[in-house]
Amino acid sequence: MIRNTERRPRTLGDIGIRFVILTLAALLLMALQFTGQLQVLRSAISFVTAPAQLSATSATRTVTDAIQFLLELGSLRRRLNELEQINAALLAENFSLREVEHENAEMRSLLQFAQTRPGLELRGAQIVARVIGQESTNFLDYIEIDLGARHNIAVGMPVVTEQGLVGRISEVNDATSKVLLITDPSSAVNAILQNSRLNGVIRGAPNGDLLMDFIPQGPVFRVGEVVLTSGIGIRFPKGIPIGQVIERRQRDIDIFQQAVVRPSIDFSSLELVAIVTNFDPLEDVPALMIEPTAVPTATSDPNAPANATSGEASSDETAPPSVPGTDEGSAGETATDATLVATPPATSGVTTP
Amino acid sequence: MNQNRLPLYAMPLIVFGAALLQSTVATRLAIRGVKPDMVLIIVVIGTLIYGGRAGLVWAFLGGIGLDLFSGGPLGISSLGLLLAALVAGVGHRILSRYHILVPIGASGLGTLLYGCVYVGLLSLLHEAGQMPLFQGLGLPNYQLAFWAMLQDVIIPATIYNMTIVLFLTPLLNRVPEIQEVV
Repeated sequence: MIRNTERRPRTLGDIGIRFVILTLAALLLMALQFTGQLQVLRSAISFVTAPAQLSATSATRTVTDAIQFLLELGSLRRRLNELEQINAALLAENFSLREVEHENAEMRSLLQFAQTRPGLELRGAQIVARVIGQESTNFLDYIEIDLGARHNIAVGMPVVTEQGLVGRISEVNDATSKVLLITDPSSAVNAILQNSRLNGVIRGAPNGDLLMDFIPQGPVFRVGEVVLTSGIGIRFPKGIPIGQVIERRQRDIDIFQQAVVRPSIDFSSLELVAIVTNFDPLEDVPALMIEPTAVPTATSDPNAPANATSGEASSDETAPPSVPGTDEGSAGETATDATLVATPPATSGVTTP
Repeated sequence: MNQNRLPLYAMPLIVFGAALLQSTVATRLAIRGVKPDMVLIIVVIGTLIYGGRAGLVWAFLGGIGLDLFSGGPLGISSLGLLLAALVAGVGHRILSRYHILVPIGASGLGTLLYGCVYVGLLSLLHEAGQMPLFQGLGLPNYQLAFWAMLQDVIIPATIYNMTIVLFLTPLLNRVPEIQEVV
């Protein structure tokens, strides 16, 4: 049998040509996306794929829960006893906290802060969204939710759960949005240690932990301290829990201290999140895949000091659009209230009307 | 229609479905935060069976699928997967894929290349975005430390993918050798 040996070199050439063509096509797609020309296409595709994603996520969750339940069946009774004890302790603590709350309210009225809301009042301005997908690669940390531009979601809006801060909206399609999680290395959140009142910046680390950097040298903080958003930079409301310090890193030769923080949220099992729609983030957001129609605000200053600290993009295209109102039509009032509480003294002039 | 080639024509759907599963199921399979790269594994195995020419197309389509369900720029996963498919194509043409080291090596090298290209390009975009020449172009600003990502993500993912392919090799060896197809 005679073998056709002429085919081999031509095939190699074909592979090379195909490789070059497909590489150029991929580069072209990237370039088109950067210029915002694929936004409509992406919106259309996400509109089609979102139901499939949601179904797959729900099915996965059901199967995982069933397996988890079977695995944990033996230890459930022990856990039940433990939880009953914890419940009793929490009930007692709850009663004492109600007393503190009552006392706090009286003191506020005495200080003529009657109109100030105690703590962060986010209810009425949040929209609950379902998480329909997680990040598909190992290198970034995003989630996809089932609300988009048609639900008045805008780039830059903070995303939270009852356990703490999740991230912020980074890309808005018509019916879905992508949320940049605080565990992503590109994310930066101004934070404060609850007890020692030290400020720093929370960043995601590649191994999934959070690293609080830029903590001033000198003052001592302890492992176990709770980390909250500081509100500096007006990117996130003040006082949202982020996590707990699990390790302190301090070397005399460094300018700053660091803290390794365990997030208060289990990001792998996020199901529902809330988007804070009554908070107007004044700082720039990263120039990821922002809609080309995004309106730059007058407050986006490329040379803002807080921006330099976080190291994020600062071009005009990155400025978030103004936050639309809520369905209740009370966005203006609630925004004022929430921002008034969220604003640190250094920036209070921005918020009080 | 040749039965052996049936999966070949369904492959675009398979890689796209794998991308969908990557954004939903893979998180549940994560070990210390590192997920298996389902699309990459399918592309590498498909390329070992059907050859580099078809593998390149699947790599491109699979990458687009991955990027649709990711926060990264569209096309970047395709670039990484194209290189992985090119490497696996060598395994199809020059080496015997029935040798256990070939699929494992192809998946390992493919994962390394895919990860390095992905993180490297994002780092490159970040650096370019800092230059005055490119400012105002709206380049995305992903801040990934290359060496940290290599150590904490890419190498563990490489080991994870190689382990999966190790268990899939007996199944792969049951598929008959198929000549290079378009």
